[in-house]
Amino acid sequence: LGDPQNLKCVTHNLHKMLCTWDISSRGRHGQTDFCYTTNGLTPQVCSKTKERRIEIPVPESSITVTIKSSGTAFATKEFVIHQKDISFVPVTPHILSLMPDFPTSTLNLKWSDNGSVFPYGLDALWQIQILRKEAMEVVTQVTYYSKLIHEDVILSWNWTSDMPLECTSHYVKIRCYINATHFVGPKDWSDWSPAEVIPGKDTEPGVSGVFPLDPVVAVGSDLTFCCVHEEDQRITNMTYGSKSYTMIQLSSRSHAIRVLNASVSNSSGTNVVCRLENGLEGSVVFVGYAPDIPQNLSCETSNFLIIKCTWKPGRSSGLYGKRRTKYSLFERTSGKNVSCEVNEVNKDHACGFPVLPDQKTYDFILGVSNPIGQAQSSLLVDITQRVHPKPPEKLTVTGNNSTSIQLRWFINGSFAGIRLLCQTEISSSHSDRKLHNVSMPGQKSSAYTAQLNALHPDTKYQFRVRCSAADHFWRWSDWSRGVEQATSEA
Amino acid sequence: MAAADSPSAALRRDLCSRGIRLAGKMRADVVDLLEAYVEQQGLDASASVAAVEGVPLAAVERWDEQTGTQRLLENLAAYRAFRALLAQMLEEQREQLGEADAGLGRALAAVLLQVSAFAYHLEELLRLESRGIPGEEEDGPPPPPRLSLFEQKLRGLGVLRELAQWAVRSVRDLRQLAKPGPATGAAPSPAENP
Repeated sequence: LGDPQNLKCVTHNLHKMLCTWDISSRGRHGQTDFCYTTNGLTPQVCSKTKERRIEIPVPESSITVTIKSSGTAFATKEFVIHQKDISFVPVTPHILSLMPDFPTSTLNLKWSDNGSVFPYGLDALWQIQILRKEAMEVVTQVTYYSKLIHEDVILSWNWTSDMPLECTSHYVKIRCYINATHFVGPKDWSDWSPAEVIPGKDTEPGVSGVFPLDPVVAVGSDLTFCCVHEEDQRITNMTYGSKSYTMIQLSSRSHAIRVLNASVSNSSGTNVVCRLENGLEGSVVFVGYAPDIPQNLSCETSNFLIIKCTWKPGRSSGLYGKRRTKYSLFERTSGKNVSCEVNEVNKDHACGFPVLPDQKTYDFILGVSNPIGQAQSSLLVDITQRVHPKPPEKLTVTGNNSTSIQLRWFINGSFAGIRLLCQTEISSSHSDRKLHNVSMPGQKSSAYTAQLNALHPDTKYQFRVRCSAADHFWRWSDWSRGVEQATSEA
Repeated sequence: MAAADSPSAALRRDLCSRGIRLAGKMRADVVDLLEAYVEQQGLDASASVAAVEGVPLAAVERWDEQTGTQRLLENLAAYRAFRALLAQMLEEQREQLGEADAGLGRALAAVLLQVSAFAYHLEELLRLESRGIPGEEEDGPPPPPRLSLFEQKLRGLGVLRELAQWAVRSVRDLRQLAKPGPATGAAPSPAENP
């Protein structure tokens, strides 16, 4: 007699469960009557099936099942299934997308958490497996946590490979475990999803080369380079700079080397060369430093037309040409941005920013960046307190008598908004060097004068002048060129 | 007593001997540049470089059967090509290195100047032979394919190596031209082979 046996029920979503059973003997099996009732009070629910599986609701606590199988003879069997006998195996997750970002060797994985079928608030664990090479070796397995919110949420996860994605094919699989605390039956991981693949260049016909191609990396990085070659090409060796490295075979068309703790490269980069039977493949890697935070940022104006900012760049990045460290000066109040031309070799780090109409205070951010990183320094400055004039020009004597001399000079710049302080140095062979200060309203690209009295008659004097801001002194200009004049006889 | 030289033959011989000196100097500078280039670019001096597209090959078959005009025309075409290739290298050098290693940039620019001067010198010789000077391609040589940095380095190596070979060949060509003999249009009789 074909008794139904081994009744097992599995739920994938805590609502419905799939029950399967065996029939004890072979013989011919016809239709089966499958009836169930959850607590003896509710009417039995029956249905006919030819399959030995049926989907029925998950009971709160237990369910009584009657299976009547027809065939050579009728056999009826009753089962009582308690929730603890039902196992909960979530549906196999479905990968929505696997996107490569080759420059950063990063994979972005997106999948749906299928949360709408589960109650709010359940904890979900996702195991993500990354596999590589032709042999699909497991590179890493990561557990990702999320909380289900009774909606289908698209989850996203990034993984950065330790080798360029071009080197060989990368595969990703995912499975999940849902911690349904209220469900008393045994809980298990779902099946692994089918593997999604990002094909390596070693699967593309006719492609050969070293990867990554011409990267810029930070000093101290551990690097993996691979040489993709034709199947029939025998690879002789791979060198990094002048040193040969042990090769790791990734596939029949791809070999890799691992360089640890890369040191700074010279200006033309470090060559990674793959020697093949009849040819060379190569890449050039630039190993440098991210920019330091600029130190001693200081800004001043010599003419109220241009503000000149200077700074100490810190350690050289070791990067040149189009990979060099670039500087820009951003002024927050006006929103104006200026990119600075800096000569990376002779180290004169300075940048000019236009003086803006009706703006005394400048909120500067000096931005520094190169392909490896970026940094910034800031400075809030009132430029009327940072006046450093150019040396006075065209110093001339415009009048003299036995005890006084009048000087005249010119200063380039628009000083109309401030007072200037100018200092005259008076030297003569008879007396010590004296300094004479005079302050005057600043003007726009104008001449200034000073009257020097109490001089000795018939004496030859040398004069030179320098100027600064009278209020909020910042720096003297350099001295002007000297001029010589004798007082007349008494 | 040797027959008095016609003025044009004397001028040709003078141009040839100046050309020989220019080519000799150029070769010495190219060899120095090649050495500095190999070191600065971190290359293996013995690296074999496949024929680089656009680089004229100095090796020529039946060299001794060439007419004087053929020699001049081939030399001119080659040095025009090298002028474009060196200019490309100089631009790449500036783009990649900026102000770093300015010495190599200056050496490259100096050789480029010599190549340009030598091309002009060859044009002078062709004018002397009352030969038309082949026009340069309107918009210059086709832009080179976009190469990776390593390929650029190898191409530079190939260019400088071949240029050094051409300087040697040019000296031999000009010596051949400087010999008194039939008009340059005709190939030298076997008796006169170097």
